[in-house]
Amino acid sequence: MASRSEAIDTAAIVRQSLHGRRFSPGGLAFELSLLVMLLVSLAVLVTLLADIISGALPVFRDRGIDFVTSGITLDSATAGVWTGLVGSVGIAIIVAVIAFPLGLGAAVYLEEYAPDNSLTRFIQTNIRNLAGVPSIVYGLLGLAVFVRLVDLIGLGGSASTGGRNILAAGITLAVLVLPIVIITASEALRAVPDTIREAGFGVGATRWEVVRHHVLPSAAPGVLTGTVLALARAFGETAPLLVIGVATGFFSAGSAGLFDRLTGPYTALPVVVLSWSRQADPAFKENLAPAAILVLLVVLFAANTAAVVLRNRYDRKW
Amino acid sequence: MTAPTGTVDLRGEPRRLRRELRVKRVFLAAAVVSIAISIAIVASLAGNAIRFFTEVDKASLLDVGWFPRRSRFDLLTPIAGTLVMSGIAMLVAAPLGLGAAIYLSEYARPRVRRLLKPVLEILAGIPSVVLGFFALLWIGPNIIVELLNSPKPATILTASIGVGILVTPLVASVSEDALRAVPQGLREASYGLGAKKSTTVRTVVVPAAVSGIMASLILGLSRAIGETMVTFMAAGAVGGALRTWDPLDSGTTLTAAIASVATGSDQVAGEALAFDGVFALGITLFAITLLLNWVSDRFVRRVREKY
Amino acid sequence: MLTKTWTALVLVLALIATACGGDDTSGEGDGGGGAGTIVISGSSTVEPISARNAQKFAELNPDVTISVEGPGTGDGFKKFCAGATDISGASRAIQDSESEDCAANGVDYVELNVAIDGLSVLTSINNTAVGCLDFKDLYALIGPESLGFDNWSQASALGSELGATHAPYPDAPLVITAPGEESGTYDTFVEFVIEDLAEERGQENAARLDYVASPNDNTIISGIAGSDTSLGWVGYAFFVENQDTVAALAVDDGESGCVEPTSESIADGSYPLSRPLFIYVNTSKAAAKQELVDYVDFYLSEDGLASVGETGYVALADYSETTGAWANR
Repeated sequence: MASRSEAIDTAAIVRQSLHGRRFSPGGLAFELSLLVMLLVSLAVLVTLLADIISGALPVFRDRGIDFVTSGITLDSATAGVWTGLVGSVGIAIIVAVIAFPLGLGAAVYLEEYAPDNSLTRFIQTNIRNLAGVPSIVYGLLGLAVFVRLVDLIGLGGSASTGGRNILAAGITLAVLVLPIVIITASEALRAVPDTIREAGFGVGATRWEVVRHHVLPSAAPGVLTGTVLALARAFGETAPLLVIGVATGFFSAGSAGLFDRLTGPYTALPVVVLSWSRQADPAFKENLAPAAILVLLVVLFAANTAAVVLRNRYDRKW
Repeated sequence: MTAPTGTVDLRGEPRRLRRELRVKRVFLAAAVVSIAISIAIVASLAGNAIRFFTEVDKASLLDVGWFPRRSRFDLLTPIAGTLVMSGIAMLVAAPLGLGAAIYLSEYARPRVRRLLKPVLEILAGIPSVVLGFFALLWIGPNIIVELLNSPKPATILTASIGVGILVTPLVASVSEDALRAVPQGLREASYGLGAKKSTTVRTVVVPAAVSGIMASLILGLSRAIGETMVTFMAAGAVGGALRTWDPLDSGTTLTAAIASVATGSDQVAGEALAFDGVFALGITLFAITLLLNWVSDRFVRRVREKY
Repeated sequence: MLTKTWTALVLVLALIATACGGDDTSGEGDGGGGAGTIVISGSSTVEPISARNAQKFAELNPDVTISVEGPGTGDGFKKFCAGATDISGASRAIQDSESEDCAANGVDYVELNVAIDGLSVLTSINNTAVGCLDFKDLYALIGPESLGFDNWSQASALGSELGATHAPYPDAPLVITAPGEESGTYDTFVEFVIEDLAEERGQENAARLDYVASPNDNTIISGIAGSDTSLGWVGYAFFVENQDTVAALAVDDGESGCVEPTSESIADGSYPLSRPLFIYVNTSKAAAKQELVDYVDFYLSEDGLASVGETGYVALADYSETTGAWANR
C-alpha cells in the first residue's frame, strides 16, 4: 500500500515539475531584480545624457553651428570648440598614420608568419598586457620618452614648446591604441578561413602573395573596423595628454602654418571640456562644457556607427 | 624534408624568395615594436622611481598623508584612495553590469537584445572626461550633498560612483559575451530535468560562465584602478591629502596624484623629489594592473579551454 | 566590393584632411622651428588677465600661436626658470630660491606689476553665524595647530589662547577648501596670516594638512558653496564671479577693524589681504622674439590694462613704474 501511494506521489511531482507552476514568485523576483539592474544602468546613462543635452541645448539653439566653427575664447557668448576639434583630428590622423601600419604589420606577422614558439607567445602575452596598461602610464612614457625624442630630432618647436606638441601627442596615443589595433586586426585575419590560403599556396603563390592578394582584402573590413574603434579611443583620451603638456587654458593658433601647428602648442577637444569645467564664468560649466561634450559624443558616435556599418556591410560570413 | 630526386624544384625563383624574406622581416619588426614599448615603459618608470626610492627620506614614505610638495610621500595614501575608490566603483558596477548582462542574455527578447547590446558597446566608449564632468557637477551636488548630506561635494565617493558608472557597460558587455558562450545544450538539459528558468540561470548558466564573469569583473576593476579623469576632476584633494579610508573624505588616488603633479612638465614646485615620486606611483599602478590583467587572462583562457 | 571600401576610406580621409586644413589657407607661418609662439604659464589668479590679453592680441596678430595656462605660481616659476615658458604670472613676488634657479639656467627676467588682488576669505552665502575674522581667528581655524578640527567650536580654545577677537566660535561643521602648495594664493595666505604667529609659537609655517586642496578654483568655489559654514580663500575675481553662491568675510588685521574686500578697499590698501599681481617676462627671449615684445607692449597698453578691470581685478593707480621697468629691461 505504502509503496503504491508513493509511486502516485512521484508521478504527481514529476508532472507538476514538468508543467511548472504558473506562478513562481522566486523566479519572478529574480527576473524582476535583473530587469531593475538593467533599467537602473540605462536610467543612469539617460540621466547623464539628459543632463548634458539640457545644458548644451541653449548653446546650439542660440548659436547653431557657429559654436562648432569658432575657436576658444574667454567670452561665453563667442567661445567655440573648433580649436579643440582641429587638434583632436590632427592627433587622430597622426595616430592612424603610425598605429595602422604598425598594428596591421604586427598582426600579419603574428597570424600569418609567426612560428608557434616562445617568442611568439611572449609577444602575444605582451600585447594583451599592454592593452590593459592605464592610459596615464602611457602619458608618463610620453613625457619621459616621446616629448624628448621629438625635441631631439628638431621637431620640438620653439624652446618654450620643447617637444610638447601635437607630434608627441600623436605618437603617445598611437602607442596607447597600438595593442587594440593589433588585437582587432589579428581577430580579423584569424576569421579568414585557411582554405583561402591553401588555394593560394596550391597555385604556387608565396606567403606574401597570398597575404597581399587574398587574406588582406578579405580581412580589410574587420581591420578597418578595429582601426576606427582605436581612433575613437584616442579621440576621447584626456589623461595622457595632460601629462605630456597639452595646452589647458586659453589657446589660439590663429592662422599659423601647418608646420607651426605640428610643432607648436596644441589643444584637444576633451581637454577643452576639462578647461571649461573650471572657468570662473558659470556659463562655461553650465552650458559650454556640456555643448563641447555633445560635440565629442557626436564624433565618437559617428565613428562607432561607421565601424558597425563597415562590419555589417562588408564582413563576409564564411 | 628532402625532395626525392627527379622532381621539379617548386621553391620558385630566388628573387621572389628574397622578397619574401624581406617582407617577413618587416612584419617581424612591427611585432617586435610592442616589446620595445613595454621595455620603454618599464625603463622610463623604473629609472625615476629608483632615483626616488634611493634619495627619499624613508620615514616620509609612511607619513600622515601624500603631500609631495611638502616632502610627505606617504605611498599608502594614494593606494588607500585607489582601493576605496575602485572597491566602491565595483560595488556599483558589478550588480548593475551583471544584472544587465544576465537579463539581456537570458531573458530579453532577441529584438531588445539586438537593440541594447550595441548601445552598451557605445556607452562603454564614453570618454572618461565626460564622466568626470558628470561626477563633479551632478553626482557631487545632487547625490553626495543633497542625498547623503555630506558637507563636501568632491569626495572619493563622488569619484567612485562616477567610475562605477563608467565601467558598468564594460562589465555588462564582457559578461554578456561569456553568458552567450554557454552552449544552448546546457540550458536545454536543465529544462529537460524540469528546472525553472530562474533555477536554470542561477544554477547552470551563471556557474558555467563564471570564468568569463570573473574576467569581466577583474577587467572592470583594472579599468577602475587605472581610471584618471574622473578622480582627477571629482575626488577633491587630488594634489595632496591625508591618509583616509573614509569614502566621504576628499582624497586622492594613484592616477589622480600622478595627473595633478605631472601636468605637462617635469618642473614642479616644492621638494625636488616631488616629480620623481610620480614615477613611483606610476610603477605601483603598472604593477597592480599587470597583476590583474594576468589573473583575468587566466580566467579567459579557462573559458576557451572549456568550450 | 572591396574597392568600394577603400574608396570610402580615402574619401573619409580626404574629408578630414580638408576639414582640418580649412583654416590654414592664410597660413603664413614663420617656419624655422616654430617661431611666432608665446607660451604663458604661472598663477591661476593672473591667468584670466593674461588670457584675456592673449585673446585680444590674437585678434590683432592672427599669425601668432599663443597659449595661456595657470597651474600655480610655484609650478609656473619652475617652468619659467627652466626656460620652458616666455611669461610667468605670479600672485606673489619671486622667491630667492626661484630666482637662483633662474640665474643658474641663465634665464633673465623683468618683473611687471600689473594689478592688485584682494585675497578673499570666503564662506557660503547661507552662513549667518560668522561675518568677520581677524588674523588670529584665521590662524586658529586654518593654521598648523588646527589639524583635525572639523567643527568651528574645536578651535575656540586655541582662539581664546591667542586672544582672537571672535572666539569662541559657533558649534558648526568646518570644511575648508582652498588652493594647494603649488599656488601663490596659498603662499600669500600663509605669509600674511600664518607666518608670524607660527614663528612665534614654533610651529610649521604652513596651513593645516587636512584642508581640501585643489588647483581648480571652481572646485574650491563649489566646495565652499557645498556647506553652510564652510571656509576657504581664492583670488578676488573668482569671488566676484560667484557672488550668488559664496560670500566674502570681512578681515581684520588687528589694527584697522573689519574690512570687506571691494575694489575700493583693495585699491587703497585698507583691505589687509591686498597683494600685487605680477607677470615675469623672460628678457632674453624678448630680445629674440618680436611677438613676445609686441604682446607685453599690448599688455601694458590702455586696451591691455583694461583687461584687469574686465576680469574682476583692481588696476594700479599709476602704471608708470611698471612701464618704466619694461622699458628698462
